[in-house]
Amino acid sequence: MISILFSYDFWVVAAGTSLLALAGSIVGCFSVYQGQSLVGDAIGHSAYPGVVLAFICFQTRDPLILTIGAALSGGMAYFLIHSLRDGGGIDFDSALALVLTGMFGLGMVLKTYTQGNPAYADASQAGLKNYIFGSAAFLMKRDAALIFCSGALVLSLLFLFRRILLISIFDRGYAKAIGIPEALGTAVLLFMMIVLISVGLKSVGAVLISSFLLIPCICANQHSRSLGPILLLSALTGILSALFGTFLSTAYRGLSTGPMIILCMGSVTLLSMIFGRYGLLPRMLRKRGKEND
Amino acid sequence: MTAGKKSGGEAGDRLRALGLGAASEETRAPSGAAIHVEDLTAAYDKKAVLWDIDLEIEENSITAIVGPNGAGKSTLLKCILGFLKPLSGSVRIFGKALREVRDRVAYVPQFSEVNWDFPISVRDVVLMGRYRSIGWFRRANASERAIAEDAMREMGLSALASRQISQLSGGQRQRVFIARALAQRAELLIMDEPLAGVDKSSERIIIDKIRELKSEGKTIVCVHHDLNTLRSYFDHAVLIRRYVIACGPVEEAASEENIRRAYEDLI
Repeated sequence: MISILFSYDFWVVAAGTSLLALAGSIVGCFSVYQGQSLVGDAIGHSAYPGVVLAFICFQTRDPLILTIGAALSGGMAYFLIHSLRDGGGIDFDSALALVLTGMFGLGMVLKTYTQGNPAYADASQAGLKNYIFGSAAFLMKRDAALIFCSGALVLSLLFLFRRILLISIFDRGYAKAIGIPEALGTAVLLFMMIVLISVGLKSVGAVLISSFLLIPCICANQHSRSLGPILLLSALTGILSALFGTFLSTAYRGLSTGPMIILCMGSVTLLSMIFGRYGLLPRMLRKRGKEND
Repeated sequence: MTAGKKSGGEAGDRLRALGLGAASEETRAPSGAAIHVEDLTAAYDKKAVLWDIDLEIEENSITAIVGPNGAGKSTLLKCILGFLKPLSGSVRIFGKALREVRDRVAYVPQFSEVNWDFPISVRDVVLMGRYRSIGWFRRANASERAIAEDAMREMGLSALASRQISQLSGGQRQRVFIARALAQRAELLIMDEPLAGVDKSSERIIIDKIRELKSEGKTIVCVHHDLNTLRSYFDHAVLIRRYVIACGPVEEAASEENIRRAYEDLI
């Protein structure tokens, strides 16, 4: 089993997933605090029809083209959700659910359409189903490179816009008062989320990708209440889970990489929710300590 | 004109950065009104809230904006700060449009607008007051940090600097936002209910600071809801109830008759 650690293929996959987890866990913290957790899920699901449509239009499975398709369709879904709410008088949760299921359904229909359609026999459509649940095991060097570039782009944006994001999320009124356009913080965060979700689709899948943004932040929150340590812990949770999950799925046949990583993140989070500094157990102990005083 | 204004502004900034807190020459000029609102009508959520508001808030005053719930106090602040575009009318601050004088205006928001779940320390919130001069990308240098530390000390927050904002009491939180406004070294401070939900000792600190700011030549405008303290805390008042009932020195504006008109049918 240790021999896996010396395999080139393992490290390509591990590098891809852990870079994705790094960028996702950090950007995810900001989206969680902005109350956008479910929006990430809706974008993830809605990106799927974009992947299939890009495949139908260009008859290729080139990662860049499919990713651009995913990003466009994910972005469109976001605007659809907001126009349903603002123009259609539908409340936000319902609009989210509507777009999430509707777009994902559309993706499934499109995928079945390409299956067995002789027009797409040349460019094998078989890989398209990987985008639903993800299959990091098929990550190529090219995919890893795409993740690397997108991750670097997103983290640089995050660094450049850190203050604008901080103010916009923490105190919108003050942000406006010092002249930050109201939509700027939201737009930057949305762009970062869409980029990460789109490039992560292949390895983690449309259904699970939002967990990459969500879980590490929740885990980190059990241990700290300050932003710096939270970002650090969140990134660590993401990276280590990605490495361990990739390792397990390489070691045991039939275990998909994306879900394995999420199970790892989930287990760490569950333990943290019990034993973490702000977890269940210390909270109970503190309460008891107070009562005894 | 622009060049002259710019150099004046820079010199002012430098003075402020040195902690001298000197008002720039422009504000010294006896222009009179810190805020001038003319013919303002505004709607919020498609309902007209403010009708034909004309008012002047004097420079170097402590002015309360008073009125019953739903009178449009916060809406008026939103129009002054440019958050809400009025249906008609205009707002001038120090005789200019808001975007020309944004650096001279500090705002203390209402609690309900703030995301309390966000993990951020007192020090980082106060440092936000310096963001416009630090810029969006640069690291905060020692002098910017020193200004933030000063502001925290002035509001009695030095011991709490590393605390998370979510761990503070209501009064402490309010002091953090006022410290942030102080760190901005602005000449006009606009506060939305700075004394709401605040304990007595914080109220004392806040009011003392407001008086000190006035003695330094600054202008303070607060939405205020407690009629009992109106006359002792403020020297000017604006009474509104969708329209302006009275505006001027607190003794005249907040006369029994005017208060009765503002709160009629409500008490």
